[in-house]
Amino acid sequence: MVAFRSADNSGRQSGLLLRCILYCLLAIGLMILDKRYDQLSGIRRALSVVVYPLQVAITSPFEAWDWLHESLRSRDALRADKARLEQELRMARFRLQRYEAMETEVRQLQGLRENTTGVAHKFIVGDVMNVDVDAFRARVMVDKGARDGVFVGQAVLDEGGVFGQVARVSELTCEVILISDATHAIPAQVNRNGLRTVVLGSGDPNHLKLPYVSTAADIVKGDLLVTSGLGGVFPAGYPVGTVIEVRRDPAASLAEVDVQPTAALDRSRLLLFIWVDAAK
Amino acid sequence: MTREDQLPRTSMTISALAALILAIVPLPYPLDVLRPDFLVLVVLYWSILAPRTGGLALAFIAGLALDVLHGIVLGQHAFALTLMAAWATQVRLRVRVFSMLHQSLTIFAFLAGYQFILFWIDGATGNPVTFLSRWFAPVIGALIWPALAGLLNRLNDR
Repeated sequence: MVAFRSADNSGRQSGLLLRCILYCLLAIGLMILDKRYDQLSGIRRALSVVVYPLQVAITSPFEAWDWLHESLRSRDALRADKARLEQELRMARFRLQRYEAMETEVRQLQGLRENTTGVAHKFIVGDVMNVDVDAFRARVMVDKGARDGVFVGQAVLDEGGVFGQVARVSELTCEVILISDATHAIPAQVNRNGLRTVVLGSGDPNHLKLPYVSTAADIVKGDLLVTSGLGGVFPAGYPVGTVIEVRRDPAASLAEVDVQPTAALDRSRLLLFIWVDAAK
Repeated sequence: MTREDQLPRTSMTISALAALILAIVPLPYPLDVLRPDFLVLVVLYWSILAPRTGGLALAFIAGLALDVLHGIVLGQHAFALTLMAAWATQVRLRVRVFSMLHQSLTIFAFLAGYQFILFWIDGATGNPVTFLSRWFAPVIGALIWPALAGLLNRLNDR
């Protein structure tokens, strides 16, 4: 059994209730200020700087291991990597050739339609920190913060597609909420025919939900969903997910659609924070 | 052991920091759901063993640290942890003479109360987490309590 040795001084028992009430009132005050009046972002930022060394301390062994792993790789492996990357770069360049011209064209067309969704004009790359934010919420901590110009509501992509948006910013780090979070919704449309809908997170990083599609809607397995630009957070035209299954129950008015995100939500280490300039 | 003027401040700080690190060390998927609230256990230990060392201030500051690391609103963990630490301090003399099983059950009550307050505040602020798995943490926490308390006793003896 676990015996407690006495290191107690029972003399000051009387103040316990008073102190408890005091601290609780303080905590409640903090909560109200934070939630209701949004007054504490400064304090939160300052406190985040205090815990930052802790987060770095935790994440650095993982980085050191990665570094070691990288530096011990054989020459052959590195050459193979280089060849593969060069090949990829060639392909990307090839696809990019027409991009400039197309972007101008798109802008002109959007100007005609008085559309306000823009194209990303600036981006920075952030590294996901090896820190657990919350087991029950799809959030990650990234090593870019207010110092780098990151702001709340900023769209975040990875190389596959839309990753999430910035939920909270501190001086040196920020918290990104993934599109798979159960409380997250993103306006999207089917790339093939422009059908607009909303993609909800499910809590599972490999699965998104499409709850507001009628059984009669033209949506089939394999359809790509892209951001529609409505809502103003995400720029239009970035891939969100692929439809993997459509179940149509004749008795129901809404179809059940399963979507797999195109971004590697549970694996990506490098994220893109983008700035969108509204096309006038 | 510790005399009245020699409060185990160092062991307290070390254990609290270690617990804080354990609270955010990344774990693979099925394990991270099962992660016990280490910092809560440590605060409860000090509330029961030596309430004057850190007292409720320790609970409040530890809670605030948890809030900054993964809270939805600032003050949420601080509130829950302060209440549970005060309760533990109140009943500490009885808890100390409990058998191991009995102690673990009491700790389970504290942890469940803590989790319930968090659950309630999550809901009240519009970010409900309704997975059943959130209630695993108190069970695991109560199970590791004997080991943790033994370890902290060792640390404290030196």
